[in-house]
Amino acid sequence: MNASPLLSGRGLSKRYSMGAERVAALRAVDVDVFPGDFLALRGPSGSGKTTLINLLGLLDRADAGTLLLAGRDTATLSENARADTRRDRFGFVFQTFNLIPVLTAAENVSYPMLLKPAPPADMHERARELLAAVGLRGKENVRPDLLSGGQRQRVAIARALANHAAVVFADEPTASLDSRTADTILDLMHQLNRERGVAFVISTHDARVVERAERIITLHDGEIVTEAAA
Amino acid sequence: MNRLTLAWRNISRNHRRSLLTGGIVAFGFASFALAGGFMAQSFEGLRNNAIRSGLGHLQFADARLFEKSEDRTLEYGIPNAGKAVDVLRRDAEVETVMPRIEFFGLVSAGAHSVPFAGLGVDPQAEAIGSEIPKGVKQGTWLTPGSHDVVIGSGLAKLLNARVGDSVTLLATTPDGTLNAIDARVSGIADIFIKELSERYLALPLPLAQELLTVPDKVSRISVLLKEPAHETEAAMRLTHELQQAGVSLAVRTWRQLALFYQQVRVLYLGIFGFMGAVLVVVVFLSAANATLMSVAERTREIGTLRALGARSRRITISFIVEGILLGFVSSAAGTLLSILITLAINAAGIEMPPPPGSAHGFVIHVQIIPLAYLLAAGAMTGTLALASFFTARRAARAPIVESLAYV
Repeated sequence: MNASPLLSGRGLSKRYSMGAERVAALRAVDVDVFPGDFLALRGPSGSGKTTLINLLGLLDRADAGTLLLAGRDTATLSENARADTRRDRFGFVFQTFNLIPVLTAAENVSYPMLLKPAPPADMHERARELLAAVGLRGKENVRPDLLSGGQRQRVAIARALANHAAVVFADEPTASLDSRTADTILDLMHQLNRERGVAFVISTHDARVVERAERIITLHDGEIVTEAAA
Repeated sequence: MNRLTLAWRNISRNHRRSLLTGGIVAFGFASFALAGGFMAQSFEGLRNNAIRSGLGHLQFADARLFEKSEDRTLEYGIPNAGKAVDVLRRDAEVETVMPRIEFFGLVSAGAHSVPFAGLGVDPQAEAIGSEIPKGVKQGTWLTPGSHDVVIGSGLAKLLNARVGDSVTLLATTPDGTLNAIDARVSGIADIFIKELSERYLALPLPLAQELLTVPDKVSRISVLLKEPAHETEAAMRLTHELQQAGVSLAVRTWRQLALFYQQVRVLYLGIFGFMGAVLVVVVFLSAANATLMSVAERTREIGTLRALGARSRRITISFIVEGILLGFVSSAAGTLLSILITLAINAAGIEMPPPPGSAHGFVIHVQIIPLAYLLAAGAMTGTLALASFFTARRAARAPIVESLAYV
């Protein structure tokens, strides 16, 4: 990669309390995310994949190390500034979809746009366009409980792109899906990555993710074991 | 989709819990509104009793009579009272003027003699301005110029006297001598206060003046106004008119004289205030419990919204909006419930036992007081908003990763 990294983590460490013990989830990890990346984080359970995604996505703070966002140290950001950064620059896709059950598919996609101080005038149009882009034309007014698992994850992907995210963090996005649906979801993410230039950082056990990734980071016991380009 | 739509959908998400919370709030509202309506009835009854049982809206008398009791009959009486009464009656705002003589004596009927509290009155003026003539259940009220008396039902019982019986009145005149006259019982009146009923004896003013040998002298003059709200202005104006006629009298409004009314009002406000506070605490705890469950169920959702970029404050506000919306809807239901219960209670004609010091009970007529309804809606909605704020604020500030991992 010749471009400057969008996100650059150096010496990122995180410990969690488990009862009386403090367990190291990440140990001095160095990682870069570049614009348009399709990066897979793999490793066994407890290896630190989710913790790393949480730190990179500004969902959590590192105990040690620095994380630069477009060259700026994120440690100086207030909670509100971190929230605004997540809203404007990041998207999130979760294993269990995490859609808002009382909102329709289109309203779920619109929600991040509503969080902006001045929601875009074409918000509803954009939500429809994004749903069409993920193959859910005609499902705009359907609530999540009436959608299949694959359809819900598509809505979640559309929602992640609502505010023109530079990076989408996906934590085990295929773990709750059957293999055929998982394939289509991965294809969709890969397509969006290529067509829209959105970077994807995906934590996974799934070999199919790794097959599609351009870069693969393997974690074990909170440390990067290998980092390779596909 | 605005905040209200989202709030309504979240409220509708768990029908049973929202109905339960809304039901508690609606019943709390109804209790508040009904208590307010009952309290208003009580205050109005007490106020009318005070005004119509002799106080009037204004009272004119020698200033000393308002400060201390008389050692002798009519010690502080108003001389040339007729002049003052004429001046007062000429005022366009005055409905009626009731000159009165207050004195004590002994009444005898056959072998029975009982002390009485005498009231010399203008029969026609009293018929307009006092409730007592309407309380004459046996016989008739006094007629001007007659030698009749009206006695309380309690006094009639003690004397074993009936309408048409002759009685002898014995009293001390202002100069200390004893005087007696004969009279006829024209009527027996129901008096609400038992002790007063056993002592009440009214007679025409000229007869009282004859008994006390004090022509044209009265103890005090009560004035009933056409527009009670203007009592302070009327007091100033009438005092001025009297002064211009060369009569110098002190004036008091009924509020200054009705100590019993003021004390009962403070007591009622204290009791209902305490009940209201208990009610608010109960609603607060119920609402807090419901909100706590709702927040716990939506912990992951809160984490998701924050991951998407929602600030903690926005999430807290969204829960407060839910609380306020539920408060409004429940208050609307409470309004309907209160009106229905009020109509049912009033239609049932429920009679309450006599209050302390009274000989008669009263029929409940709960009033619909818009201010009580507004206060109830404000208290209930505010309580829900506060409960939502306290429970949601903490959840909205919890670490995002903990919220997302919540099971």
